[in-house]
This record gives sequence, structure tokens and C-alpha cells, in this order.
Amino acid sequence: MNPELIRSLQELLPQIQGYIYPNEIEIHWGLLIVVYPYITGVVAGAFILASLVKVFNVKEVQPLYRLSLLTALAYLLVAPMALVSHLGHPERFYEILLTPQTSSAMAMFGFVYAWYLMAVLLLEIWFVHRTDMIDMAERSKGATRLLYRALSLFSRDKGERAVAFDHKALKVITIVGIPSAFLLHGYVGFIFGSIKANPWWSSVLIPIVFLFSAIVSGIALVVLLYMIITPLTGGKINMKCVDKSVDFLFYAVIVDFSLEMVDFIHRVYQSEEEIKILSEMVMSKLFSSLIIIQVLLGMLIPLLLISLTKIFKKRFSLNEDMRKMVYFISVILIQFGIFATRWNVVIGGQLFSKSFRGLTTYKMGFGGIEGLLYAIFLLALPIAILFVLLKLLPPWKELREEGEVGTEAAGAGV
Amino acid sequence: MGKLFEKFPDPLARLIVVVVAMIALGAFAYFVLIPKPVKDIDFQWADAVKREKARPVRYAGFQACEECHGEIQIKKVTGYHKDLSCETCHGPAKAHTEDPDKVKPTIPTARTFCPQCHAYNPSRPRGFPQINPVAHNPLKPCTSCHNPHDPKPPTTPKECSACHGEIARMKAVSHHVQLECTVCHQAPQQHKISPRSVKPTKPQTREFCGKCHGKDATDKLAKNAPKIDMGVHGEKYVCWQCHYPHSPEVEQ
Repeated sequence: MNPELIRSLQELLPQIQGYIYPNEIEIHWGLLIVVYPYITGVVAGAFILASLVKVFNVKEVQPLYRLSLLTALAYLLVAPMALVSHLGHPERFYEILLTPQTSSAMAMFGFVYAWYLMAVLLLEIWFVHRTDMIDMAERSKGATRLLYRALSLFSRDKGERAVAFDHKALKVITIVGIPSAFLLHGYVGFIFGSIKANPWWSSVLIPIVFLFSAIVSGIALVVLLYMIITPLTGGKINMKCVDKSVDFLFYAVIVDFSLEMVDFIHRVYQSEEEIKILSEMVMSKLFSSLIIIQVLLGMLIPLLLISLTKIFKKRFSLNEDMRKMVYFISVILIQFGIFATRWNVVIGGQLFSKSFRGLTTYKMGFGGIEGLLYAIFLLALPIAILFVLLKLLPPWKELREEGEVGTEAAGAGV
Repeated sequence: MGKLFEKFPDPLARLIVVVVAMIALGAFAYFVLIPKPVKDIDFQWADAVKREKARPVRYAGFQACEECHGEIQIKKVTGYHKDLSCETCHGPAKAHTEDPDKVKPTIPTARTFCPQCHAYNPSRPRGFPQINPVAHNPLKPCTSCHNPHDPKPPTTPKECSACHGEIARMKAVSHHVQLECTVCHQAPQQHKISPRSVKPTKPQTREFCGKCHGKDATDKLAKNAPKIDMGVHGEKYVCWQCHYPHSPEVEQ
């Protein structure tokens, strides 16, 4: 056997409790597989936020529309990187394209991903920005002009018929997009939920819990980005918009929390043979990431904070800064909570032995393709991509002005 | 092209062009650019098949053994080892079938061999015959009492273990190995005749275990037993809710 592997296993051996099978000592789905559902969750959640505007006509959230679409795209571009890197040879990714596999549930991600990227997200972003890109091409010169021309597929038509078609197409794409976003992240939950040999994963509720935690993380992230980007670019935060999105966030967190509790109570009441080892794992190896970070910091405290703004409505409605701070802290806590959720699902499912008589330990590397540094890089990369996208397709006008218009319209009658 | 742009709204026409171009490009790449062997899974497997085929064949299979060693086979098929192949214990025997006189398969005699399967390990199924190799007839080769082609306990199980073999084997490797079943259970004679209607007694109270494991235990069996303070240990629970009496494990 590889001497390096033996050395790393020897470090793990003293940390093992009870009895486990030899192939369970080392955890194979590591940090990158934690990053992957987190990122796809953000994509699905951000898209749901965008569709609130287009499908459900929530006018208050209009300022976040383009930002959430671009956020979804930035994160979607990074999602497969975590998977392909985890397979060990990212430079061979093209082989997946050359030999498509249609009978494996795991390989299905390629199709789900391609559908969501090409048929939903890119199309929607293109239709939203088409006339803007034509305008920008007209205003700019040289290479930039050529770039915008190419991006708009050399379209110059800003006539009534074309714009009307844009709107119609957007409506259709968003309606197709909602089930597609559910498919994208529900698929990730399905992959875990369908592993019947693993009682921590094998649950029909997992895809649905994943969906709601995705909505939570996506909305929270877009609100967080909005609250950071707007002051940085010299704008004023539109509190009506933030209030409304936090409202939706609040409901999503409640549903997510209830679903997780249902799952929990169900497991405890059923009390099947695995319950002993699972409760031992939750109370020892996962205590800080599940009880403290996921449930307490990631759900209960944000729920409490947001409910405070609702209970003491009068006091908070007078003090915008106070409300902003409460929201800001809540969305940051929720991000950590959702990341911990992914951690607990992925790592937790591999910590206990299939003999139900022992626990192993996850040893995270620092460098290397499975290490902490690379995972941080993958988590930071979407922000960099988003920066480029925001430069390319600036949503500033909508972030500021349209929001005001939207809130007036909402005040008038919705 | 111009007509197409007039017929459809401008954005739709452009998207149609892009999608058609992408499909055409993809099809061109797939059908023309990529050489067939790259797409052919048989081709990709061919190397692996060749590599595996090149390996020497070392195992003969149990049918080959039966041809000459039929009498052993007849014995083995009725015994507990019927699902084991001959070469599981005797090693690869292809060379032996080709030249039976020159090459002899190994006959494992070391005391370390059988415990690979039969040493006590709590993750093995309950009732699977397991021993503690250190305490089980030290230094004696396994085959002096057990015939590996038809393994049976050397003495016929009697008394309790005749029916409760799983418990007996588990107790045999536990800390309670020295205790007779009757220390804890009283079985009326009638139990042997109608075991389901007349049952042996079971300890009912914490104090029963406390006779040996209480901190003031005076029972002569209790000399080396782990002692606890019955007043504070385990509160309202009875002992066997945490400790399985036939294999009592103590958590550190």
C-alpha cells in the first residue's frame, strides 16, 4: 500500500471510536462535496428570488432581479468545478462530454446542469439584457463595442415587436425555470436521499429539505450582496425591498426548520436500529456543526432576530439602521448555518460505520485539490465572476431607480 | 437568412441561428472530429481486458479438486464449511492440478489461521462460532479437536447450550465466562419438555447484579468483578438496559 496513505490512516486510527470496517476509516466525500450542494443551493435560491419578481409579481423585490440572476449564473459556473476537481483529474473533464452516460444517476447532473445553464439561466439573462447590450454597444467603441455586439448576438432591433417578444419569452423561461431550479437542487438532494444503505441520507424528505434550505441560502446571499454592494457603489439601500425579501426569507427559514424538525422527530419516534449511533454522532462529532452552528446560529437566532423586528414593528420601523443591522447579522448567520447543513449531511453521513457500532473522524487537508485552501478558492471564485458580470451587465439602474418606481407601484395597489 | 429574420421576432431568429449552429457544431465534433475509438467503450475496455487476460491463472476451482478428492467433497457438502471453496484454505491450486506429485497445496496448521474467521469480533454475527484464541486451548492446533472439512464442536452441546448455542458461544468469550447459567437463571425440569410454556427465571432487580458488582459485594464470585456504587450508578435504570449480561461490555 502507498506509504503516505498508511501514514495518514495511522493518524486517524486513534480517533476512531468503537468498531468500524476498514474501508470506512477514511472519508472519501470531503470538503469539495460539501461546497457543491452549497453552491447549487445558492443558484436555485437566487433564481427563485428572481422569479418572485417575474412570475409572482412581487414588485418590491424588483431591485434584486438582475442581481439575483447574475449571482445565480456566477455560482452556477463554479458548481461543476467542485465535482470535477473532486474526481481528481479536472483536466480530463472533456471526457465526460465525449462519452455521455445516461444510466447513472450521478452522471445525470451533467444533463440537469446543461439544461439549467443553457435553456434557463443564460437565456433569461440574455433576454433581460438584450436591449441594454444594444444600447451599450452603441455607446462604446472598439473592442468593447464588438464584445457587446457579440453578446447581443449582433442584434440591433429595439422595435416594439422585438421588445414585446423579450417580455413574453422571459415569462415563459421563468415559468419553465422554477421547476428547473427545483430539479437542479432537488437532484442533489435525490442523490443523497436515494442511498438506501445510509440511514443518515436515505429519506424521501431530503430533496425537499434541500430545496428549502436552497431557497433560504439563495435569498439570504442575494440580500447580503445587495446590502454590501449598494453602499459601496454609492447607492442607498431600498428598505422596502430588503424588508420584503427578508419576509420571504423568514417564511422559507420557518418551512425549512419545520421540515428538518419533522425529519428529526420522525427518526427519533421510529427509533430504528441506527438511532443509537446517530444520536451518539450528533452529540459528539457533529455537536458543534449541527446543534450550535446549523440549528442555533443558523436558524433559531436569525428567526428570533427577524421576529423581533416584526414584534416590535413600531420601534424598528422608525430605526432603519437598527433593522439593517439585524438583517445583516441574520443573513450572515444563515449563510454559515446553511453551509453547516451541507457539512452535516455530507460529512455526517460518512462518520458512522455501516455496522452501526463505531464512528470515524474527518481529517481535512489544507493544501491540495481536496484541501481547505482550494475550497475557499472555489467559494471566493463566484464573487470574482460576479464582479466581472456586474461590470459587464451593470444592474445599477435597476438597483436604484426601478426599485423606487416599483415600490411606488406596490404602494399604489398591489 | 433575411427572410427568417423577418418572419420571426429579431431575438428569436438570432437564438434559432445560435441553437442550430451549436447543434451543428456539436454534431460535427461528435461525428467527424472525434475518432471512433475514443467514443467506443469496447475499445476503452480492450486494454483492461488484455491486462487482466495476461495475468497467470492460479486458481483451479473446486470442481477440479473434486475429481480426485471426492471423498472429502462428500464430507464437506454436508458440513458447516460447505460454502467455502477448497482453495480458500489451501491456496491457489492450479499448479497442483497440472502436476499433482511435484506441487502440493498448503495445509494450514498454524493456530493463527482459523481465528482469521473465528476470533471473537463484536461486529461478527451473533451466534457465529467465535473463540478467544489466547484462552481457547492454548498451543493446541485447531485440527486436533475440529475436522476442518466437517467442523463440529468436539463435544455434543448439552444442558443449556444444546438449545441456546448463540448465547453460550457469546458468553464463552465474555467476562461472564466463568458463571454457570444457573447463577442467574433457575430452569425447572419442565422447561426442557415444554420450553415455551415453562420458562426459566430471569433476574428482576438491580440488587441481583449488585450482589457481585455493588461496592460492598461479599459474594465469593465477586472477587474480581468491577464494582460500582449502586446508589448513584445508572439511577432508575435496571442494569440490562445498558449492559448485555451475556457479553457485558463496560464503556470507559
